[in-house]
Amino acid sequence: MNTCTKRIREIASALLEKKEVEKVIGFATGTIPMASNPIVVTSKQDVEKLVFNSTCGLNLANYIRNHKGKIAVIAKGCDARNIVTHVIENQADREKLHIIGVPCSGMIDKNKVASLFKDDIVEFIEDGDTATIKSATKEETINKKDYLRHNCSLCTHKNPVIYDDLACDEGEEQSLEIPYPDVDAIQSLDANAKWQHFQELTKNCIRCYSCRNARPLCYCPTCFVDEAGPQWVGKGQDETDVNTFHFLRAFHCAGRCTDCGACVEACPMDINVRDFTRKLNKDSFELFGWEAGLDTTRRPPLDSYSPDDPNDFIK
Amino acid sequence: MGNLLEHMGIERDRVHFSWISSAEAIKFVDIVKEISEKVRALGPNTKLVKEYNE
Amino acid sequence: MILSSKEKGHTMKFITIDKKDWAKGIENSRKAYQLFGPVKEKNGVLIKNLEKGVLPLMEYTDSVMSAKSVMFPQSEMILKTTLDESKEDHHIMKRVDTNYSPRAVVGMRPFDAKAIQLVKMNFDTKDFRDPYWCDAYEATTFVGLAVNKPGLYDFSTSAGSGPFGEDGLDVLLADMDDKYVAKILSDKGQDFIDIFAVGTSSDEKESQVLFDVLRKEAEKNIASAIETDKLKDKTILYLHEAPFWDDVAFSCINCGTCTYVCPTCWCFDIQDETKRKASTRFRNWDTCMSSLFTSHASGHNPRDAKTQRVRQRFMHKLKYFPDKYEEGIMCVGCGRCVKSCPVNIDIRKVAKTMNSYENKE
Repeated sequence: MNTCTKRIREIASALLEKKEVEKVIGFATGTIPMASNPIVVTSKQDVEKLVFNSTCGLNLANYIRNHKGKIAVIAKGCDARNIVTHVIENQADREKLHIIGVPCSGMIDKNKVASLFKDDIVEFIEDGDTATIKSATKEETINKKDYLRHNCSLCTHKNPVIYDDLACDEGEEQSLEIPYPDVDAIQSLDANAKWQHFQELTKNCIRCYSCRNARPLCYCPTCFVDEAGPQWVGKGQDETDVNTFHFLRAFHCAGRCTDCGACVEACPMDINVRDFTRKLNKDSFELFGWEAGLDTTRRPPLDSYSPDDPNDFIK
Repeated sequence: MGNLLEHMGIERDRVHFSWISSAEAIKFVDIVKEISEKVRALGPNTKLVKEYNE
Repeated sequence: MILSSKEKGHTMKFITIDKKDWAKGIENSRKAYQLFGPVKEKNGVLIKNLEKGVLPLMEYTDSVMSAKSVMFPQSEMILKTTLDESKEDHHIMKRVDTNYSPRAVVGMRPFDAKAIQLVKMNFDTKDFRDPYWCDAYEATTFVGLAVNKPGLYDFSTSAGSGPFGEDGLDVLLADMDDKYVAKILSDKGQDFIDIFAVGTSSDEKESQVLFDVLRKEAEKNIASAIETDKLKDKTILYLHEAPFWDDVAFSCINCGTCTYVCPTCWCFDIQDETKRKASTRFRNWDTCMSSLFTSHASGHNPRDAKTQRVRQRFMHKLKYFPDKYEEGIMCVGCGRCVKSCPVNIDIRKVAKTMNSYENKE
C-alpha cells in the first residue's frame, strides 16, 4: 500500500469517527486491471476500501453536489481546482466540504499502456515510479512518467489549491515554455485541414455523453442536447449534429475547464475531446490571464465585465 | 467563440461581431456590405451543414 | 476443390479454407453480399461496412462496438415525406429506399450472434414485426469467428453463449493456424459458402472433434462468470426494494456507454427532422441511462433519479427479461460494458449482489 493511500484512510477514519463528516468520497480498487471506482464511504470499516494510485483518473468534484450534510472528498490538483469552480458557481458550499488534498504525480494513460500489448492486460502493479504490467503472454515494466496522460504531462498544478488535509507531501510544479503545443499544432493548419482534423477526431463518436457527464463542469439540470422544447441540436449521428454537440459542449466550458482529462478518460472511443477545450483554455489564459479554479475570490472572465476586456473582434 | 470556430476550421470571416446603435444607419450599411463581401469571397459554406434531404 | 452449386443439397457440414485463399473468397462473396465485419480504427475495433478491398479483421480480442448495428444502426433514416401541399402525397410518411440486398457479417463473435437472437425477440414478435430490423435481419448472413483465446472480459459461458456458440450463426469459422475450418449451420450459411467458392470439404466427424478440442481449450480460459441462478426465486418487488441500489449507482455518471456498447440493448428514440419542405423520420439508439429516456411531455419523469435508472438497466437485463421470455438473461457475457464503463460499474458484481441478496428482516 502506498503512503498516500495509508494517509487517506487515516484521515477518513478520523473524520468519520469524530463525526466531522457524514461521508467520504474517494476511489476504490476496480474490478478490472487499471480501473478505479468512485465510492462513498460512511463507516469506519469501509475506509479500508479507499485507495489512491495512478489509475484514479476521474474527477471526484463531480460527486460533491447535492449532499445535505458535510462531506469529505479526495482531491487531486485538478479536482481541487474544480472544487474551487464549484464554490465560485455556487454548486458547493466550502463550509460543508472537507477536502483531502492529494498532490498528484500524474495519471496513467490506459490506452497508451494497452497499446503495448496485443491481448488484454490482466495485472497492473505500481511500485513508486514504475509499474509492472502483465498480460497472458507478456510482462512489461514501465516508467510511469513515460506513460502519463497528455494532460498530466502538461500539468502545472499538481498540488491542490485548496485543502483541509494533505495526504502526502507537495511536489514541485513544472513550468512549461510551451504550455499548449497541441493547440499550436492545430492552429498552424489551414481552415480545411483544421476541419478535417476535427471530422476525423469525432468520426466514431457514439454520443454516449460520457465526456460531458464525467466532467464536473456539466451540471445543468437539462443539457442543451437534451432540451426538447425548443430542440437545439439533432440527436442522430449526422456529423453536423455530432460536431455541434462537441463544439457547444466545449464552449460552455470556456474559462471553467481545468484540463483534468476526465472527459478523455471516460470516452469509450478514445477520442481526445480536449482538442476542443484546450483552445479555450489557451484563449482564457492569453486574453484574460485566467486559469480556472485557482482562486475562490475571483470571478471567471465570462461572468464579469472589465473595461480592459479585449474587444478587437467587435466592429 | 469566433476563435473556437476558427480553430475548428470555420473561416474567421464567416463570423462577425458588431455593436450598432439604432441611430447608426450608415454604420449598419457599411458593416453589412463588408460582411457580404467577405463571406462572398469565401463562397458557400459546406461545414456544419447537413447534406441529406437535398 | 472448388465447390459447385451442384453439390449443394447433400450435407456438407465442414469446409476447410486455406488462409492463402481467404482474400479471394471474400472478393467472391462481394459479388452477392454487402459485407460487414470488424475493422481496426484508431478508436478500437469496430464493426463496419467493409469497403472495397478491405478484409475483415480476423485477429482481435475485443471489439468496442457489437454487430447489432448491422440490423439496427445507431441512426437510421426510416420514413420521409414532403410538406409541399401542392404535392398529392404531402404529409404522408413513406419508407425510404434502404438497400436490403443480401448482407453478410464476417468475423463476428459468437456472443454477438446470440445477442441478435435476443434482440429479435423484441423486433420480431407474434403480434408485431418491426419492418426495418426484420428486413435487414432477413437479408443478413451471420458468419462467426470462434474465439480461440477469450479475453479477460469474456464471461459468455455463464451467459448462454460461449466462445464456440452457434446460436444465431449461419457459419462458424474456427481459426486453425494456416486455415479456417467453417462449420455450416444453415441454408443461408451454405449459400454463403457456395458463393465464397473457396475451400475443400472436410470430414464431419474429424472436424467436429477439432472444434470440440478448441472449444474446451477456449472455455478453460474464461475465468469469470455472471451469477444469476437465484434470481428466478426472488420477486421483482423484493429486488426492486433492495437497499443496495444507491451504492451500486453512486459512481454512475449516467452516460450511455454501457447501453450503446451492449449487443442486446435495443431501445430507440424516434426523431423528425425538417429541412425546407422535406421531413425525415429517424430512429436513433436511446439509452435508459439518460433521464430524457422516460421524461413525459407533462414534465413528470418516473425515473427521475440516477439510482432508478441504474436499477432499471440491471433489473431489465437480469430479472424482467428472464421472467418475461424465459430464455435466460438479456446479457451474452461479451464484457464490453465492463471494459468501457468509465466508473467501473461491473455487471458481474451487480448480478452477484442481486443474486446473493437476502432480506434478513
